[in-house]
Amino acid sequence: MKNVLVYVQHKGGVTPKVTFEMATEARKLADQLGGKAHAVVVGKGSSQLAEQLKSYPLDTIHVNDDADVDTFLLDPVVDYVEAAARAAGPSLVLVANTLTGKDVAGRLVGRLNAGVCADATDFKIDGGKIEAIMPKMGGAAITTCALKDGDYGIATIRPNAFSAQAGGSGASVQAIEKPSGKTYTVRIENDVEEGTGELALEEAPAVVAGGRGLGGPEPFDTLLKPLAKELGGAVGASRAAADAGWVPYSLQIGQTGKTVSPNLYIAVGISGAIQHKVGMRSSGTIIAINKDGAAPIAEFSDLTVVGDAFAIVPELTKLIAASKS
Amino acid sequence: MKIVVTVKLVPDPNAEKRIDTSTKRLVRTGVETVLNPYDEYALEAALQLKEKAGGDTTVTVFAMAPESLKETLRKALAMGADDAVLLSDPALEGSDVWATSYAMSHALKKIGFDLLIVGGLSDDGSTGATPGALAEYLQTPLVTNVRKADAEGNSLKLERETDTGYQTVAAPLPCAITTALTFGEPRYASLKGIMGAKKKTIAPLTVGDLGLDREVGVSGSKTALLAANPPAARGKGQVVEAADGATGAKAIFDFLKERKLV
Repeated sequence: MKNVLVYVQHKGGVTPKVTFEMATEARKLADQLGGKAHAVVVGKGSSQLAEQLKSYPLDTIHVNDDADVDTFLLDPVVDYVEAAARAAGPSLVLVANTLTGKDVAGRLVGRLNAGVCADATDFKIDGGKIEAIMPKMGGAAITTCALKDGDYGIATIRPNAFSAQAGGSGASVQAIEKPSGKTYTVRIENDVEEGTGELALEEAPAVVAGGRGLGGPEPFDTLLKPLAKELGGAVGASRAAADAGWVPYSLQIGQTGKTVSPNLYIAVGISGAIQHKVGMRSSGTIIAINKDGAAPIAEFSDLTVVGDAFAIVPELTKLIAASKS
Repeated sequence: MKIVVTVKLVPDPNAEKRIDTSTKRLVRTGVETVLNPYDEYALEAALQLKEKAGGDTTVTVFAMAPESLKETLRKALAMGADDAVLLSDPALEGSDVWATSYAMSHALKKIGFDLLIVGGLSDDGSTGATPGALAEYLQTPLVTNVRKADAEGNSLKLERETDTGYQTVAAPLPCAITTALTFGEPRYASLKGIMGAKKKTIAPLTVGDLGLDREVGVSGSKTALLAANPPAARGKGQVVEAADGATGAKAIFDFLKERKLV
């Protein structure tokens, strides 16, 4: 396992930031392992995305614009990634820890007879052996997991955990042949994009999240969004807010929602139940605004401001805006 | 239609977890083992499909867990599953995804299914990779994160969540799916259900029944857990009482400035 292969998740050539984080990390790992850094990009818009990826330090980018990838659910992707892995030779396959990434990783476990380290936030190479650092049990433990000897290994990568750095001398872009003799049965009949193709919440450097204390859907727009915008971040929510139908579940942070680790997390009107805590406790700085100073969130926040969020948040937004001008 | 739902028995997700650094395992003392609450959504999906399909549709619950946890499975039977199968064997202890999904796939082949609903979303160290690995070993189509499902003859019409939106897909049976929490709140077990569950069968399986041709457990895994440590302690920070909006905002702004976050 000395090479590294990055599976590039994208829609029509638009890829989340984590792809570039993985491409950068792939180079570092390949250098330490004494191998090459590869990427595989398939589906509509791949050629165009491959050009963009060339500014990252990869050796080879395997590309096919095959429309089957966008017509059938995941099976063609898995076939292509397997083909690229065979072409790259024994390798560590890096996949984003997203909904799609988890599916790809699982399929590769069976396909490549490989172990998987999930939600990696760091790597250590020890005498040619690959070890991944991963928060587990909702962050209650930081585990070190080694991939045993074998031709292939898989790691899913937490967005925002690694840095992306362009550079390198330009990868060679190679067409990868369509795997033959395959029939696909799960057809995508309708594909609806609700976002911008980016993983807004997981990749945001700052998250402003709201909970039950906001009392309804409006404050998410009128109170939280302007603050998030000033911070260059995204709006999130607790399960209580999502369950109440105030925001879509795609904004939910916690055990049953998304795990985020932004530099700055501002929790507004969130009590901080364990359900929520496990989704955000690895954030850099945590600030809570709550009317109850005894709420559990105060126990793991760097700063808790006890007061009226409806009065504090607009003032804070103004202060930050003014500091920029 | 024969529906099989895989469930996990996990430490109560609502309990605060602690890790024992010497055993690298969770401290179980004082933490109850429960039917994974998120698997109740998978079971709810199965029960809804059974109600819609009617006829001779059955729902079987499958779990891989120590025999001592057998009674924890009754909750699934009380909610309405027809029967259960429990794969228990000390040889399975410490299995990683590669080994777990391999053993599970053999058990599921033995049980047989038209529709497999894979639960398992949890916070007890799961990887999210098990459904994919199972689908490979079972050579069955897989549709994940399903929030709506309708059986139409020999195929399924499914709506699934994606990273950036949603899709509708058509899949043939037999097929495996995983459900999203948006599928709908799981039902409560009725008193009648709870009473009835006592008479339902929980069939035991061991590794010896599966005819595996490779080892499972720690030595039959592709990954090795080297260390498990608690995260750097995150102590209680400052608490500031804000009499009005301006005071509160200033406290936060100064704090952000000090940490160079604005």
